[in-house]
Amino acid sequence: MQGFALYPFDPPGDIAALRADLRAWLAVNQPKDDVVARANCWASFDRDFSRALGAAGYVGMTLPARYGGGDRHPLERYVVIEELLAAGAPVGAHWIADRQTGPLILRYGSEEQRERYLPGIAKGELYACIGLSEPGAGSDLAAVRTTARETAEGWRINGQKIWTTGAHFSHIILALVRTEEGSERNAGLSQLLVDLDTPGITIRPIIDMAGHHDFNEVFFDDVLVPHGALVGERGQGWKQVTAELGLERSGPERYLSSHALFVALIDAAGPDPDPAVATLIGELASEMWTLRQLSMSTAAKLAAGEDPMVEASVVKELGNAFEQDMPRRVQAIIDCNWDDDTDLAKLLRVLLIASPSFSLRGGTREVIRGIIARGLGLR
Amino acid sequence: MSAARDMLCDTARVVFAEAAKAGISPVEEAGFGLLLVPEEQGGFGGDWGDVNAVLQIAGVVAPDLPVAELIVDAPLLPAAAVSLMAGAMGQALALSIDHVNMRQQFGRALGKFQAVQQSLAVMACEVRAVEAAAAALAARLDGVGLDPSAAGFEIAAAKLRANRAVGVVTSIAHQVHGAIGFTEEYDLHRVTVPLMRWRGAHGHDAHWARRLGDQVAGLGGRGLWEAMTARGA
Ligand SMILES: Cc1cc2nc3c(=O)[nH]c(=O)nc-3n(C[C@H](O)[C@H](O)[C@H](O)COP(=O)(O)OP(=O)(O)OC[C@H]3O[C@@H](n4cnc5c(N)ncnc54)[C@H](O)[C@@H]3O)c2cc1C
Repeated sequence: MQGFALYPFDPPGDIAALRADLRAWLAVNQPKDDVVARANCWASFDRDFSRALGAAGYVGMTLPARYGGGDRHPLERYVVIEELLAAGAPVGAHWIADRQTGPLILRYGSEEQRERYLPGIAKGELYACIGLSEPGAGSDLAAVRTTARETAEGWRINGQKIWTTGAHFSHIILALVRTEEGSERNAGLSQLLVDLDTPGITIRPIIDMAGHHDFNEVFFDDVLVPHGALVGERGQGWKQVTAELGLERSGPERYLSSHALFVALIDAAGPDPDPAVATLIGELASEMWTLRQLSMSTAAKLAAGEDPMVEASVVKELGNAFEQDMPRRVQAIIDCNWDDDTDLAKLLRVLLIASPSFSLRGGTREVIRGIIARGLGLR
Repeated sequence: MSAARDMLCDTARVVFAEAAKAGISPVEEAGFGLLLVPEEQGGFGGDWGDVNAVLQIAGVVAPDLPVAELIVDAPLLPAAAVSLMAGAMGQALALSIDHVNMRQQFGRALGKFQAVQQSLAVMACEVRAVEAAAAALAARLDGVGLDPSAAGFEIAAAKLRANRAVGVVTSIAHQVHGAIGFTEEYDLHRVTVPLMRWRGAHGHDAHWARRLGDQVAGLGGRGLWEAMTARGA
């Protein structure tokens, strides 16, 4: 069996300067007051911040300049997003558009779609949501039942999506729908890019266990969209979605969701920590360092045009376990009460409550392990 | 991998296999002790990337021989252990995959059972993590001219990560093998017992965790990120 070689992470340009510029920008522009927003910060929405970030050139970085993008290398973008996440910046508003919808429109979209949507995405002003899950289609995504029928005027969509993060503030949804009547499983699916203000769409909030309104139900009641809403090829939705999911599995967000807590733990421990705390800090640092290597190597492979499906899943599996276990491990050894008013206590509380979602969103732990097992030749 | 490293690995496989029966002398005679000695001093002029590759093979083929001691100085033995462990873990995974594909129970290969698949996925993640740690440590050591004090963070992080993988890797490997893996005849213990030994050698978990933890505490929360990014990419 061939051992795993690290792919060299070798972005073009002056990376030290890129980091320094961004850190200086964040020192001025990152909201300071809200410590809790730094936890799981790619779910923290802040339109003003996203807009400012876009104006500074840190959104849509890899998109071509003719669509308002930065024409930058994917690994330069990687450096920027790992910096943003490590700083706990509230990147949730534009996150999905920047990470996956923009690149997908560039890759599969029509010229009209690119011109219409990409400039807004690159400005950090146009937000997108992912319309995959349905009440009957969770892990078993091929069970999607929302339909779109082609008529003379365009596509008529009927059905329902659920768990749609950010639908309530997004402008567009990229929906996986069944376009071929009578088709089953992963055949006959297509992706439609739908403006969320189209008549017939109803968005209903679902409040999560933290009391937040992040995700939603999205209902389509005879929604008519133009023929041009189709993204890529009719009937190729499954293939496109699989590629899209690959983009979202191995990024630094898969291990940095609890990073704000790690920072607070280290700062609370001080320069001369209690041995038990030092031991935990050492363990967490070792895991984080390793994860960063794995994630960077996978990003480098993706940037080189390879398809590191299994490696990406390894990053997600290990990274989610790391960020999910961290609050529990911290709680096990730190003296602090549930409602103490310290940064450490607040972050701990918020992340203990948020962390069950880490191994659900973007594909559950069991589904990810199944992908790895397939890579091992077991399925 | 470079062509030179490929050749080096081919030689290592042959020589270490011979040494596994005959003792360390074939390894000495083949000149592995000169791997890190510069070419102008009559050595092979290799780097830690070469050491990592060679020791991963030693970890599988000749885990009981002092190959690492022959190649590297004492301060780098913890780093060498990471490579030995990565190699042995890769072999434990390979043996496990072969076994579950071959062994039939309930009318099908064990590997077709989801419980077994999920266990092996967990194990594979640990193995990949240790391989990545070994490779990243090699990159750091080569970047600082093999100065162990300049790679203190990476040595601690990598050895600790490898140590912590040992429990998961050995227990899952043995579990999916059943009784056959518990026999003297079957090869699994040739890698799992050395893994158990290496976890305690050159610094156990608590040793490296304390050391790394103290180092990180000195950096501070933000300082950790700044140090990590300044030290690589
Ligand atoms: C915070 C959050 C944000 C989300 N955002 C979005 C979004 O923006 N857009 C979107 O489309 N979806 C979103 N999702 C939905 C997410 O993709 C689904 O939750 C996920 O795919 C699992 O589906 P499910 O919740 O229906 O669970 P189920 O599929 O019902 O699974 C429940 C449990 O059973 C296990 N299980 C299921 N099938 C198997 C099997 N074959 N073998 C072994 N175990 C199995 C699962 O692993 C899981 O542990 C979000 C979810 C969360 C938690």
